[in-house]
Amino acid sequence: MREPDPVQADIVYRPRGRVPGTSVGAHRGRDAGGLGTFRDQVPFLRMPDARRIDVRATLRDPFEGTHVRRFESRTAIEVWALVDLSASMRYRGEADRMALAAALCGGLAASATRIGDGFGLMGCDATLREDVSMSATRRRGIGASVQARLLAARCTGARADGMREAGRRLVGRPKIVFVVSDFRWPEALVAEVFASLARHDLVPVVLADASEDEGLPVWGLMELDDLEGAGRRTVFMRPSLRRRWLAHERARADTLRRIAMTYGRPPFRLEGRFEADALTRHLIGT
Amino acid sequence: MGDATMTATVTAIWGRFAVDAPLVLWLLPLALLPFRASAQRVVPVAAIDAGPADPLSRAIGWALRIAGCLAIAGLILGIAGPYRRGETVTRTGIGAQVSILVDRSGSMNETFAGRQPSGAEESKAAASRRLLGDFVGSRAHDQFAVTAFSTAPMLVVPMTDRHEAVRAAIRAIDRPGLDYTNVARGLAMSLSQFGPQAANVSRALLIVSDGAAVIDPRVQGTLRAEFARIRPNLYWLFLRTKGSPSIADKPAGEDTPQAAPERHLDLFFKSLGTPYRAFEAEGPEAVAAAIRQIEALERDPIPYTERRPRLDLSWMAFGLGLLGLLVLVAGKLAEADVRRGQRALTPRAKAAVPERIAA
Repeated sequence: MREPDPVQADIVYRPRGRVPGTSVGAHRGRDAGGLGTFRDQVPFLRMPDARRIDVRATLRDPFEGTHVRRFESRTAIEVWALVDLSASMRYRGEADRMALAAALCGGLAASATRIGDGFGLMGCDATLREDVSMSATRRRGIGASVQARLLAARCTGARADGMREAGRRLVGRPKIVFVVSDFRWPEALVAEVFASLARHDLVPVVLADASEDEGLPVWGLMELDDLEGAGRRTVFMRPSLRRRWLAHERARADTLRRIAMTYGRPPFRLEGRFEADALTRHLIGT
Repeated sequence: MGDATMTATVTAIWGRFAVDAPLVLWLLPLALLPFRASAQRVVPVAAIDAGPADPLSRAIGWALRIAGCLAIAGLILGIAGPYRRGETVTRTGIGAQVSILVDRSGSMNETFAGRQPSGAEESKAAASRRLLGDFVGSRAHDQFAVTAFSTAPMLVVPMTDRHEAVRAAIRAIDRPGLDYTNVARGLAMSLSQFGPQAANVSRALLIVSDGAAVIDPRVQGTLRAEFARIRPNLYWLFLRTKGSPSIADKPAGEDTPQAAPERHLDLFFKSLGTPYRAFEAEGPEAVAAAIRQIEALERDPIPYTERRPRLDLSWMAFGLGLLGLLVLVAGKLAEADVRRGQRALTPRAKAAVPERIAA
């Protein structure tokens, strides 16, 4: 429900490895070209570009070979956000879960387009939500519209199976894919979705809330109502149950982390309030 | 057959209960509401299976739901005003039907010594009144009828188990007596008090008199027939005045009913073929002993009817409702304060509204 924060810093991300592709962008490309930072020297015959002949290297070569300087091309990459739109995303604990997701995606869109990367969005509940999804665009200033689009989305579905479909749609060159969800999915679905996105640079973003674990009361009766319509349940919270509850949550988080680590990055825990710097630190540090 | 019996039993039990306002009972399905909605503050969660399974919580959840049902159903039932119908119940107790036939001839007002009572002396009527009064009401399920006779029989109290009325009737027997002793018509009337009851009831006819009279031979036949039909245990409490002839005494002269009416009444009773005992009492102590003996003899099961008044059951329904409500209130008080962060969120949500309008 918030407008994008104008002072919110950009999210800085660095794709793992070298990015293939021809479009000029901000990331280290796989291709070596004539522009950019120096990469290496190769024999002339390997890259017959007479303009890049390295005179000193050529003279220094005792075998009188001709050397050419290669430069690293800067390549753009597409950033995609896959947002879970199942009903559990309506959860409001200390923060509105959907507002968090929208702020994240808005920030991502703004940061990505500012450095020339494309940003695409997919919303998934039981199916892929075409009304929320948008294809990748490099148009600048879409952060606000992405955020508004997500905030206007209705979250009613009880499942997140559309994520499988999203994995099938993201073909082509590797992209950075943020999977934004609370990951209250069956373990099999998590594994399957991550596997289908394995060729991309996968960043799971777990939307958590303190009221779901550490913020639980120590004593008292609670009547829990499942947002996804799985019924109601009375819980008599007491210290022993709270301990078991927290252990249960921790086990769930560990499972998710274990699955995510096989695809490269641990999940980013987005809790309470979206801070671009925290995400940046996470993305650079892992 | 078992089913039919059960259905009959259920109908019988159901038939005993009714409500004042049956239309209110149409609201009873509302009692199922707690299974849909809860009185507790509902906390929406992302996943119901987030926490571990907990049997205690589950039990508390069911208890709260059932308490909700109980509260609503109890209140509705209470408003409908349930009651148990008034009814007459036939039960079996230990006791007997006793028809008391009391002599009200003038001589009953005399003492056992045959004088007018003076000072601390007690007339025969007063003594029998005192002792019979104790006899009545010593057992809860005895039924009594009181008939008095002198020249003509007087029905004082018909066969009843209202012992207060019977005692009142017996208190009245020491009113100054009347003329003569006409035992035949008194017998006929007191026999008629037994009524068409079940055959296995113990029946006793207790005659309290201080003399006898001749029974007309023409009436004798009718009486015999009546005795044969009803077959009561016959007790004759003969309050003998000192000096008067005993039951067993043969008169010196001619042995006719006119000469010795007591002896001949005794003989008549013996000839009836029903169990018969005569007690000859010459003082209040002897009367008391005789009555104790009669009391001991008449110990048989007797069916008696009890009238149960209509019983208001709404307190029970309201009590159930109260129980449910107390459980619900306890649940409400035990409610946890989840979401302390919700308050921090609310102003932001409010602030969003004008922005949207501006956009």
